[in-house]
Amino acid sequence: MITGPRLGRSRRDKDAQRDGRDEREGRDGRDGRDAPGAVTSGERSRVRAFGLRTRLLLAFLMVAAVSAGTTAALTYREARNAVLQTAQDTAVTSFREHVQQTAFTLPLQNEGLEDVLRDIARRGKPHPWVVFAEYGSIRASSGENPVSTVITPELRRAARAHPYGSFERVVKDGVPYLTIAMPMVFKTSPDSVLPSGLVLYAVMRMTDEQVNVDALLMAARDGALPGLAVALIPGLIAARSVLRPVRELRQAARSMGSGRLDTRIAVRGSDELADLARTFNESTGQLERSVRELRAAEERARRFASDVSHELRTPLAGMLAVTEVLDEDADGLDSDTARAVRLVSAETGKLAVLVEDLMEISRFDARAAELNADEVDVAEAIRKTLHNRHWTDDRVRVDLPDGIRARLDPRRFDVVIANLVGNALRHGGAPVTVGLRTEARSPEPSVLITEVVDSGPGIRPASLPHIFDRFYKADAARTRSAGSGLGLAITLENVKLHGGTIRAGNRPEGGAVFTVEIPLHTEEAGG
Amino acid sequence: MRRARTRRRAAAVAVVALVAAVPLIGGCGIQETDVIEAGGPASFQAFLDRDYHMLLFFRTPDGGVSPVMRATQPSAEFGDHYFDPGAEEQNSADESGLVPTEKVVLALLGGPHEDDRAAGLSTSLPTARPGGALKVDSSPDGRVTARLPLALGDLDSIALRQLTCTIAYSQDAEGQVVVQLTGQDGASRSGTCGLAPGSAENAPAATGTRARTTPSGTTG
Repeated sequence: MITGPRLGRSRRDKDAQRDGRDEREGRDGRDGRDAPGAVTSGERSRVRAFGLRTRLLLAFLMVAAVSAGTTAALTYREARNAVLQTAQDTAVTSFREHVQQTAFTLPLQNEGLEDVLRDIARRGKPHPWVVFAEYGSIRASSGENPVSTVITPELRRAARAHPYGSFERVVKDGVPYLTIAMPMVFKTSPDSVLPSGLVLYAVMRMTDEQVNVDALLMAARDGALPGLAVALIPGLIAARSVLRPVRELRQAARSMGSGRLDTRIAVRGSDELADLARTFNESTGQLERSVRELRAAEERARRFASDVSHELRTPLAGMLAVTEVLDEDADGLDSDTARAVRLVSAETGKLAVLVEDLMEISRFDARAAELNADEVDVAEAIRKTLHNRHWTDDRVRVDLPDGIRARLDPRRFDVVIANLVGNALRHGGAPVTVGLRTEARSPEPSVLITEVVDSGPGIRPASLPHIFDRFYKADAARTRSAGSGLGLAITLENVKLHGGTIRAGNRPEGGAVFTVEIPLHTEEAGG
Repeated sequence: MRRARTRRRAAAVAVVALVAAVPLIGGCGIQETDVIEAGGPASFQAFLDRDYHMLLFFRTPDGGVSPVMRATQPSAEFGDHYFDPGAEEQNSADESGLVPTEKVVLALLGGPHEDDRAAGLSTSLPTARPGGALKVDSSPDGRVTARLPLALGDLDSIALRQLTCTIAYSQDAEGQVVVQLTGQDGASRSGTCGLAPGSAENAPAATGTRARTTPSGTTG
């Protein structure tokens, strides 16, 4: 009946102990682990630069930029084309009207031609233009140069080849010009015309149109840029509405991780984030429930072990008294009965030790163990321990420098030393050496190091990780031994209670070595 | 994998933005255009009166033909005409109310005057030898046949065009007649003038006809 819970508990405690070892390793390697921690936070901040807020803002800006830019560009293009179209149509129409009211003789006379051209030029719409005439070899204009430098050969060719009015926009030295070519015809009959060979050209600077177009461009830009700025506001609001639940979730997860399983998130709205929060709450609830059940089960198991130990102690005390009497009288009995009586007596003694150890372990598990620290001379304490156990012969050697003082619980330190030395004598081999020294550790307080070295064959490597487990037997064949199987576990708990660590290992030259490190609180001692 | 996909998506977004931005940046200001047609030609006042003016076609420096107006009579006679309209009208009526085509062709063969030359006009025709036989007949179906006092074989296309257009516009105000030229060498060419904007697409067809009739002309 006892076996079931005991095994279960021992396994659980093994797990707990392994965790404890991990903690120890963690403490040892803290220096090594801080640096990766810093890297992680650095990564996080770099990730934050492209975090949700940035991405949402960028998306909003992108949408706003594309829509505002497209709208502005299309509007600008249409408006510009309208402005230019109006100017061109007006110019072409009015040019045609004006030249149609003019009379020429054929062949064209060079004399007076410039006056006629100037007259046409003056009436230019929407802006004054320069009029050029080309007929045969005659070149004349209303301006200073008889031949324009702006009119392109393409326009000339088109005007010569087809009897249609045509225009071309030309940009020369950054100035836009409208060039119009107008082949001239005359009537040979009321409904028939004949090309005269005369082509009139008008060249008009489009400066006003350029100003208008530039103004349009400015307007488009001035409209689009504030639009982008305004788009930031909904972007920020959207980012906030997403980020706040995420931040809450993160805080909740962190507080869960630190043990507050009753953490819950307020569920707002009915979106995906609310679903996430609800799921989180449900999972937390289930987690909390199962953890509570686990703890209750553990608590029950501990109390059971504790109760069993207590219940066993009273009858055992009676039995011990009886077996002592029986032991004394054993000599008077016949040999078989005497052997049986001595066996019962010995086993009863072991049972009493086991029950005591169980009760001690139960106290540790219930966290009822207290540290009654007192400043002691460590070497003196160890000597006293050895003396009390009658380990004063040459089986145990000591290397104890005087004058090392530390704050220790004398009773618990006595248990530690006694357990380690007894264990070494029992499983290792004499002689056993107990060493004592202090060691300075720069960032942390210096430590008191107690080493117990035996001269046996050492601990098998496969057993090393489990050496502090409860009821762990290093040699499976040796199921019965003098110890309760809890000695090293109790030692470990005592050292942990002191805030120290314990290591088991093998020396290269043979023999197991147990090293106990307990921080020296000398400042506290001094104060 | 997912990261690569995200990166690819980001690249696509960037490309789209760039494509959207290119017309924004590139389309600013006033751009150049090609030559754009804008309506028909402009007609001016030439004060052409077919009773007193004849249209002669001369060669332009760029290899085309251009019409010039030439008064039928010297300006003194022109004044006389005003004072004595009856006699002149009588005279014109005898020749179907128009300047006789023979006279017009002779004026064309006479070459450009000084003011024509001043405008850069010239002729591709050889100077006429006086006293050559010149006869113009107009048939009822709209064909005009002209017998010319020169050899057609030596003439280039501009010269033929000068003759054709001059004869066509002398015969018809719209110039839409087929002119058949026959030279002293017996060679024969026919075609239309095709200078008028309305008959612009006729021009190639006319050249086609002329080209087709040329061999038959030479054989016949």
